[in-house]
Amino acid sequence: MADLLFELGVEEIPAAAVAAIRDQLRDLFLARLEQERIAHGASECAASNRRLMLHVTQIPERTATQEETVLGPAKRIALDERGLPTVALKKFCEFQQVKLSDVVEIETPKGKYLGVTKVGGGQDAAALIAAAIPAILRQLTFPKTMVWNDSRVPFIRPVKSILALFGTRLLDLEFAGVRSGNKAPGHLLLSDAYFDVNSFKDYFEGLSKNFIILREDERRAKILAEIRDIAEELECQVPCDDEMLDYYVYSNEYPVAFSGRFDAKYLALPEEIITAFMTREKKLLPVYDASGKLTPHFVGVANIPDENRKVSRGNEKVVQAAFEDAQFFWDMDRKEDYFALKGLLKNVMFQKELGTYFEKVERLAALVDFLVNETRQDGLRGALHKAASHCKNDLLTKMVREFPSLQGIMGGLYLKAAGEEPQVWRAIYGHYKPRGLANEKLDDLGAGILSIADRMDNIAGFVGKGIKVSSSKDPYGIRRDANAVIKIIADFRLSMDLAPLVRLAALHFAKDETELQRNSKVIRELLVSRLENYLKDHRRLRYDVVNAVMVRDTLVVLDKILQAEALAQLVESGMADPLSSLHKRLRNIIGQNERCPFTETALKEKEEKLLADVFQGAKPRIDDLILKQNYLQASSEILEMKPIVDSFFEKILVMDKDPVRRRNRLALLQRIDELLSSVADFSLLVETKPGGKT
Amino acid sequence: MSVQNVILKLQEFWAERGCYIASGYDGEVGAGTMSPDTFFRVLGKKPWQVAYWQPSRRPDDGRYGQNPNRVQKHNQFQVILKPVPADGQLLFLDSLIYLGVDIRIHDIKFDDDNWASPSLGAWGVGWQVMCDGLEITQFTYFQQAGGIELNPNSLEITYGIERLAGFLDNKNSLFDLDWGNRVSYAQLKLEEERQFSVYNFELADIDMLRRLFGQYQKEAEKLLDHGLFLPAYDYVLKCSHAFNILDARKAIAVAERTALLGIMRGLAARIAQKYVQQTEGEDHG
Repeated sequence: MADLLFELGVEEIPAAAVAAIRDQLRDLFLARLEQERIAHGASECAASNRRLMLHVTQIPERTATQEETVLGPAKRIALDERGLPTVALKKFCEFQQVKLSDVVEIETPKGKYLGVTKVGGGQDAAALIAAAIPAILRQLTFPKTMVWNDSRVPFIRPVKSILALFGTRLLDLEFAGVRSGNKAPGHLLLSDAYFDVNSFKDYFEGLSKNFIILREDERRAKILAEIRDIAEELECQVPCDDEMLDYYVYSNEYPVAFSGRFDAKYLALPEEIITAFMTREKKLLPVYDASGKLTPHFVGVANIPDENRKVSRGNEKVVQAAFEDAQFFWDMDRKEDYFALKGLLKNVMFQKELGTYFEKVERLAALVDFLVNETRQDGLRGALHKAASHCKNDLLTKMVREFPSLQGIMGGLYLKAAGEEPQVWRAIYGHYKPRGLANEKLDDLGAGILSIADRMDNIAGFVGKGIKVSSSKDPYGIRRDANAVIKIIADFRLSMDLAPLVRLAALHFAKDETELQRNSKVIRELLVSRLENYLKDHRRLRYDVVNAVMVRDTLVVLDKILQAEALAQLVESGMADPLSSLHKRLRNIIGQNERCPFTETALKEKEEKLLADVFQGAKPRIDDLILKQNYLQASSEILEMKPIVDSFFEKILVMDKDPVRRRNRLALLQRIDELLSSVADFSLLVETKPGGKT
Repeated sequence: MSVQNVILKLQEFWAERGCYIASGYDGEVGAGTMSPDTFFRVLGKKPWQVAYWQPSRRPDDGRYGQNPNRVQKHNQFQVILKPVPADGQLLFLDSLIYLGVDIRIHDIKFDDDNWASPSLGAWGVGWQVMCDGLEITQFTYFQQAGGIELNPNSLEITYGIERLAGFLDNKNSLFDLDWGNRVSYAQLKLEEERQFSVYNFELADIDMLRRLFGQYQKEAEKLLDHGLFLPAYDYVLKCSHAFNILDARKAIAVAERTALLGIMRGLAARIAQKYVQQTEGEDHG
């Protein structure tokens, strides 16, 4: 038994790519061990931007041996009529490198065969691993690769060193023109370029002597603890989102948090600009006081201790200069007449073949108008028309040219600064939100409506251009746009049918009715699939619950969401099972029968009269509940009819010989089915014990 | 440390490591990369080590001399190492130490930043080197130039001279820099920044620049037809500068930008091909 240590020294891997590469390396390596039948104990994979490390314990020196039967030709082919070996058998022996005398007869379901029993495995694990490593490294995939030496092997950044230690042996291998050796890279700044490794002890001691914290969790914990210390010291809050934390974890081997301050005069700039400059450009965290107000402090993470405050002072100067730039953009842009910028949008292409932004905002104005009607928000009409017409003007400002991620936000801020009314500037400010399903909820309805219009126009444009979307490919962000439409409708509980909006948006990009219908269909399918995704993956609702509400082909998104929510509650409260069995029973008996007319006078038996009475008494109330989208209450009222339906089934033969009676009974059941189906197709629910979300 | 000392020290350092010390290109360029000493020499098989100081113009970066860190004309120190040396990062760190940077107390980071020049059909993979949050250098492994895959690859190290001097001299603004021997940076550059910012942003004649772009393009095409790729390249650089001023004037719409970049990229590709044909010919002869 021996442990394996593998380390690949690489020049700085982009921080955002490190974790995925580490996971690939681990998965490929463990899969390879299994494929080679190499047993092993615990394994650990850790990575920084400068090294990928893999440690696998308890690997036997030799792979497990096992007997293996190799089947040769069938007996009647292997031996001629005199019982002598044929060419087929001789070739088999040659290929398997066995003697004729080793061949035995093997009984199989297909008849008698000849073959051999060989002992496999028992190979030198170290040799297999040495051969596997370069092959695995070649299999890694990266967002972008480069070449740098004669080997012409593509990798994410140049490889500097390879260390492979199996027990006490250094394995000899080569990848990308680099031979393995006994060296590991030191810390970029705090130690020598490399340190020697001849044993596991050397390696792990070497890491700590050389200021390398290898494990991601340790780096993460150190960063968070130090940020917390600084926050306490400043009596402030320093929020650090996952994206920034990951950046710090994967761009430092010896992370140390530091703080600095800047001239408070820059706090006069809008907060959005300050934080965008600090986080996106300078990778620094803004600091807020207890009341949530921005303070003239920042926090960053360096790769070295900052005992002399050099790092902190340097960053202070850089922040100062960045804010000077921000101030310059802010001042220059505000000198322009924001509304006049619209004319210049004629020079800015939205997308090839999809016209200019000027044309786009004209379309948006029309879509927004339609949306105002559909959502009955007449009070917003004027403001949203103005917002739609000018929402892209900020693409021409210096600030957005420098920071595309501030688009929309800047348009809003410039208009706010110019004294525009809130309904207008807020709509522009928020119309690129939400950026993802998990992200922040919009707080402005106008922004939500403008965002829906903008997204639908994007989707319709790209679909009209023939762009296809798949789960792995979405170069223009159409899926993201569709997700946002669903999320806005859900967040603001907008009750509207998307189908006419789809048609209106698609109208601009279709040359005739056939194309319009085809594109509309593609868009509707996209929206349906995103709604399903929203319910299943984001809201974590059971797949059968989602299927039960998605089965009806409509695009009244809010209805489906409310129905799914109601169903989930029914499942929780144990009411789903009886509803499901009720619906299944109804569906079974109705089968493929056409919708039959219902005649009260054709009722004969007591049980059917009772059911008809109860149904007709309850129906107006249930219809009203459905109209009010109170699907939970509607369902429980339907459920109350179940005992009567059950006794109906017990006593009454639906398929009566008399066609009039049969059709009348079917008609009654069909009406109940229709009522149930207007909430959901309960028959699709998987009956389980209540309580389980899956 | 004064600006001129930064230049002198870098020249010394790289001369001792085998570089030929060239002069910067004698016309307007946006970056040291555009000099023929880089653009041509990274093509083909022949090894090449060069270092030079290149004044570089970025009209859109002008701030009327009001910003402590941004100017429309700054100075780069460009190093090309072909083929890529085994430990280029360490060589680079050595050069910082030679300049007097104590790398144990300053946070030097290789922060991923891939470089591309859409007008030259060139791109590379590498980092911006940050020192205490300040970008001081671009460090790039060239992959392609003039649309041609490079083999061998070159390592390009581009130091921002003002950034380095400001850092070494602990100055808050580059206008506080000492150029050398009692000549101040402000004395040399402040008025230039003010005047060129006014010109680039406000007064540059858009129609004239568009016309010039077309004329430079025609001249480059004519020269290429005569096989004169060196003067043809000069005219591509002139196109590029005209383009940059037009851009600072916000005179280039997106569709037009694509078209103009395409024209320059097409010319650069033809020039690169001609150069490779000729030098490969020499190799065989």
